[in-house]
Amino acid sequence: MKARSSLKQEFLEKWRKGLQIGRNDSTILERKDAIKLSADVAIAATRNAATRWRRALLCDVVSKNPTNKHVVEQILGHKLKNTAATTRLTTACRRRILRRGQNYRRRKRNKRSRALRKLVPGGEEMDGVLLLQETLDYIVSLRAQVDVMRRLAAIT
Amino acid sequence: MNTGLPEMLHCLNSSTSENCEMSVLERQRSRLKQQQQQLSQNHPPIPYFNGNDHLAYSGFHVDQALSDLVLNGGAMKPDPGVEHHDFRRFMNSGSATTDFQMSSALPRTVSYTAAASVNSAPGKESCKKRKADRSPKIAAEEKKMKGCAEEESKITEQNSNSKSTTTTISTSANKNSKGASANGKKASDAPKADYIHVRARRGQATDSHSLAERVRREKISERMKYLQDLVPGCNKVTGKAGMLDEIINYVQSLQRQVEFLSMKLAAINPRLDFDIESYILKEMFPACPPAMEPDHSHLQFNTSVEEVSGSGLEMVVDPMDATLRRTISAPITAQQSFLNSSSLNQIQQVTWEDELRNLYSMEYQQGRSTFISQQITGFLEANHVKLEM
Repeated sequence: MKARSSLKQEFLEKWRKGLQIGRNDSTILERKDAIKLSADVAIAATRNAATRWRRALLCDVVSKNPTNKHVVEQILGHKLKNTAATTRLTTACRRRILRRGQNYRRRKRNKRSRALRKLVPGGEEMDGVLLLQETLDYIVSLRAQVDVMRRLAAIT
Repeated sequence: MNTGLPEMLHCLNSSTSENCEMSVLERQRSRLKQQQQQLSQNHPPIPYFNGNDHLAYSGFHVDQALSDLVLNGGAMKPDPGVEHHDFRRFMNSGSATTDFQMSSALPRTVSYTAAASVNSAPGKESCKKRKADRSPKIAAEEKKMKGCAEEESKITEQNSNSKSTTTTISTSANKNSKGASANGKKASDAPKADYIHVRARRGQATDSHSLAERVRREKISERMKYLQDLVPGCNKVTGKAGMLDEIINYVQSLQRQVEFLSMKLAAINPRLDFDIESYILKEMFPACPPAMEPDHSHLQFNTSVEEVSGSGLEMVVDPMDATLRRTISAPITAQQSFLNSSSLNQIQQVTWEDELRNLYSMEYQQGRSTFISQQITGFLEANHVKLEM
């Protein structure tokens, strides 16, 4: 499908850009981390990098290891704003949470939705409706990522 | 708006109802054909679903949009029960819905386009105004369905114009509809610019809390339906809990696959270069021009492509075993060219298989990916030590 393969192509291009940073890593572990990092950032930067989980993922990547910032910036093509983390909650989501009382909602969440929140990056701060929406988008992107990586691995 | 209603009812319930129905059905069919043509011409297929199903899903998306407006537009006297019933029937027919099924599903829900002629301008304007506040919401929700966004707005406008003729048409056309064709008793909210308008159904509580709750629940169920399409194996499980479990498993398995594949790629390439492969990969996407590769590599890669495309996206979880077995042999043969000690290869062979077996056994449990990565790092460090020695 044309649109789906363009997503994959975009992912591939960005992934290659990230890999070209070319740190000389000798061990498998370091190489694997570099590959995975570039792949994750690339998949988060595809389409419009505006959805919640993408921003959360990029923020996590940068905060875990500040040297990753170069990879992110190279792939994204522009500088990361430091306020990305604070703009995570959109006004509507924030309003919903505030309206219902944050603590009340947190107490009521069952273990499944907690499990899902742990999986989806940035899931802790989403409410139920948004969580499912973000999960949907995340699943699609993950699928594309896995598909491209699998094909690449099958070829080489 | 209500003046048009008695005429339509009269037409349908009269002794000459058959003629009216036929004309209505004909109109429905012609309209449906128009829509299908529009959908196929103007917009690319929806990116996230398989090629066979794109038309079905665009139809499904249209239904979703309709149900959105049905529930929230507030300008008509529709039958949400019928719509939901249609969705369920539509969904239960599985991902391989035929065109016939879709065309029979669509007239039921899109049937009120046939009655669009009845309506007047004021209804349209008020609906447009409310649709304006809904449209950013719709855009945010359906941004993934870009191809159908314009179509949706057109159709929702058309549908918002039609009125309660929906119930009569749909019940006459759809013999299987449940008894929820009891027309809802209306309780409308005060029309404010940034509120979502909801109609209460007959016999349900009408205070603001429960209405808001109901809206929220319906949004959640709508998204669960999308997820049901996307996650393989969700069709058998019904109910939010089971589906959430499936979704969680699926996301976990996808994340683990990413880890595993990145490790595999790291093991295969001693350096982080993928330039050659990118040319090859461009060949895999049909829209691109072919790369300039020698013939034997072309042949090899063709077989691998067939293998990979045979597995398909829908079977990600189930043939994990098969792919694991396939990939076990691949890195070993590749590594043999890079590493020169046979003993090391043997050790790696054994440990790879153990590792992958562990990975696969963990798949359906509630194991966390951190555990896997710890295992992997443990194994790798042991390997690293051996390499240094």
